Amino acid sequence: MSSGNAPHVPSLAVVFAGIHRGLIRLQRIPSLMLPAVLMPVFFVVAFSGSFASIVELEGYETDKAVNWMTAWAVMQGSAFSGMGAGGLAGTDLENGFFDRLRVAPTRPMALIGGLVGYCVCRALIPITAVLIVAFAFLGADMPGGALGIAMVYLSGIGMAVVMSFLVLGIVFTFKTLKSLAIAQIIMFSSMFLSVGQAPIQAIEGWLHHVAAINPITNVIRMCRQGFLGEVTWSITQPGLIALFGMMVGTGIWARIRYKKVDA
Amino acid sequence: MKNNVFPQVVKLSHRSILGMLRQPQSWAPGLFFPLLLAAVYSSQFSRAVTIEGFPFADVSFLDFVLPACVIQGVLFGSTNSASDLAADIENSFMDRLLVSPVSRGSILISRLASAFMYGVAQATILISIFAAFGANIAGGAPTIISIVVIAALLSVSMGSFGIAIALRTGSQEVVQSTFPLIFVAVFVSSAFFPVQLMEGWYGAIARKNPLTWVIDPTRRMTIHGFSWNDLGQSLGIILAIASVGVGLSIRQLRRRLVRAQ
Amino acid sequence: MLNPIEATNLSRSFGDIKAVDSIDLSVSSGEVFGFLGPNGAGKSTAVRMLTTLLKPSGGSAQVAGFDVVKNPSTVRKKIGVALQDAAIDPLMTGNELLRLQCVLHGLPKRSSSVRCGELLERVGLTVAGDRRVGTYSGGMRRRLDLALSLVHEPEVLFLDEPTTGLDPTSRIALWEEVRNLNQDLGTTVFLTTQYLEEADQLAERIAIIDGGKIVREGSPSSLKSAVGAPTLRIDVSENDLPSARTVMNRFGEERPAQKNRIAIGLISGTPGITDVMNALADSGIEIQHVELDEPSLDDVFADATGRRLEGGKA
Repeated sequence: MSSGNAPHVPSLAVVFAGIHRGLIRLQRIPSLMLPAVLMPVFFVVAFSGSFASIVELEGYETDKAVNWMTAWAVMQGSAFSGMGAGGLAGTDLENGFFDRLRVAPTRPMALIGGLVGYCVCRALIPITAVLIVAFAFLGADMPGGALGIAMVYLSGIGMAVVMSFLVLGIVFTFKTLKSLAIAQIIMFSSMFLSVGQAPIQAIEGWLHHVAAINPITNVIRMCRQGFLGEVTWSITQPGLIALFGMMVGTGIWARIRYKKVDA
Repeated sequence: MKNNVFPQVVKLSHRSILGMLRQPQSWAPGLFFPLLLAAVYSSQFSRAVTIEGFPFADVSFLDFVLPACVIQGVLFGSTNSASDLAADIENSFMDRLLVSPVSRGSILISRLASAFMYGVAQATILISIFAAFGANIAGGAPTIISIVVIAALLSVSMGSFGIAIALRTGSQEVVQSTFPLIFVAVFVSSAFFPVQLMEGWYGAIARKNPLTWVIDPTRRMTIHGFSWNDLGQSLGIILAIASVGVGLSIRQLRRRLVRAQ
Repeated sequence: MLNPIEATNLSRSFGDIKAVDSIDLSVSSGEVFGFLGPNGAGKSTAVRMLTTLLKPSGGSAQVAGFDVVKNPSTVRKKIGVALQDAAIDPLMTGNELLRLQCVLHGLPKRSSSVRCGELLERVGLTVAGDRRVGTYSGGMRRRLDLALSLVHEPEVLFLDEPTTGLDPTSRIALWEEVRNLNQDLGTTVFLTTQYLEEADQLAERIAIIDGGKIVREGSPSSLKSAVGAPTLRIDVSENDLPSARTVMNRFGEERPAQKNRIAIGLISGTPGITDVMNALADSGIEIQHVELDEPSLDDVFADATGRRLEGGKA
């Protein structure tokens, strides 16, 4: 008997197969992407339009609302793309296909990685759409140059990973698509309780303290810096640390909840 | 048979309301999101009232967004009753009603009535929570009642478009897919920021949005106190919206009845 | 060498319900083993434990020589699984799913495209291979599911209710496929079913499960002959029922039957039917209908549980 073999199959191939599968499905039902693209595009238009004059207040460091709000819309779009991992896993759990995946001799993290990787690919579409609308129609600036754009994509991708892990943990727990509603509430709350729409100096009361310790605040700052000025290490570093910390935390959460699937 | 329409309406409304209560996912977001937005905005934009040109002086941002958050929360549920109606059509409960001697009108009225009751309940809960967190509603009870009635009637009038769509398509999915339109309509209005401070084409659209004309007078009442004038303006706009929506619903109901014969 | 499937005291409870209650199983290499029982008997729960999808709450099981709890990954490498309802992503094509399955089992890319082609041909889906599974018929889905479970040439194949919901033609085609697999490749097959005919047709040995417990085990023929006598059923009017029962009981032990019907195991065998008829006629009982059946698996089931399986005669 060939028991000398490593018990698991190579994980990288499984991750890529998972991404490939997600993208095939996306290509067959493109309408899946519609809300995930339209919502953040609407956000950048609506927030820049509604709160056009808010930048007159202290702390915004820009004279155009769009320079402030684009990062906010990018973060929303990325986070919302992360929901896609939960959507696909929930569908598989509900129709039983997940068992077929689970009974293969793969590492759980490779299956999870495929779902997360799929969401990262998805996230690139709304991020790009928001940037196009912001630059082409709303007159956004990018003094941070190419590095600033890179920061937008880096933080967007990171956010998609964190939210994918988070929502997967929730879906593995409840094993239904309906549990995505819970994930959405957690996602929106954690995003809103940050500096998404206003600088920390302008936020008063309890929210000031919450936003100050919310790690998403650091990620949004990292994403936003190129719109306001040069990209600096002092803003990038806390963002990277926050992303890394959240990825580890939510990754462990997803892995632990994966075990619950067979309970 | 038609002489006892009222008990039929009561019975069918009762059924509609029970149906809603049993689906927390249909009403919970309507409580959660307005509270989240109000909490966040009143902290984040507290200094926005100092911007030059802000139409109200010496007002807290919470008081400013309160009516809009109540209206937004109630509108979150405005597609629910239409969606339930579409479900009735999908699973043929509608056919069962149509073959029974239930008055055709009561099918429509019960849906609208339950949407109204739902709006009243939701608006009351939201205002109570805002009050507990220190919102200041000028004019007291008359203003509060006005906000509740305006929010509920607005929800019914917006919901009537959903009902027309439900009757036309008989598809829950189509009805629910109209939800983002309501979200957009609320955002591109004076709901969260004064239209006076908006610029360009966005400001132009927001200023022409009928929801702005409903929200602005309601907001004036919240900040300055009750006024028959403002109440009249809000209700007038709502009536205009409703007459279009209900008109369309009646047309679609007739169409469906003709087809059923 | 250890048998490909060995289970001792295997149990699983959900809350207070014992879905599988301390079962012992032993399936030898190259055997087709049938796990027969009604809906809710615990068949799927047992399969989910044997295939590492569900942790047992008691007892132990070795599949393909490895413990399902201690070495689940090694077990997974050696088994093929087609689960109930052929749950396959309807948006993907048969070919895409097969390739995904190859990656999940770590097959090298070059050999896997050959393998996928062979398997599609084997289950008769070569033409439909590039169509989305959503467009497949029930029978096609099951055959694809079977192909998916075969990509890595498993030592043990688990089929959970492979033909439930299929029309008779598709069912027979699938049986043929399973038989060929077993004969050509010597794959050990563990099959659950609620159809007596399926167990009878396919399995060399069966275990009957009811209420989470194994109530009978053996080859279909030995189980049938253990029930013994053929079953004689007669229909009489309600008034005649008590007197007919008295007469019939002289010729054999009563077996479960429908209303207004009496069934016995005819001790004297088929030739003895004349005596029964005469005795009934002598007592003035009018016979409305007569049936004589050699023992079936249904009789085995009825003998073991006191109930008939759905679709079985009674």
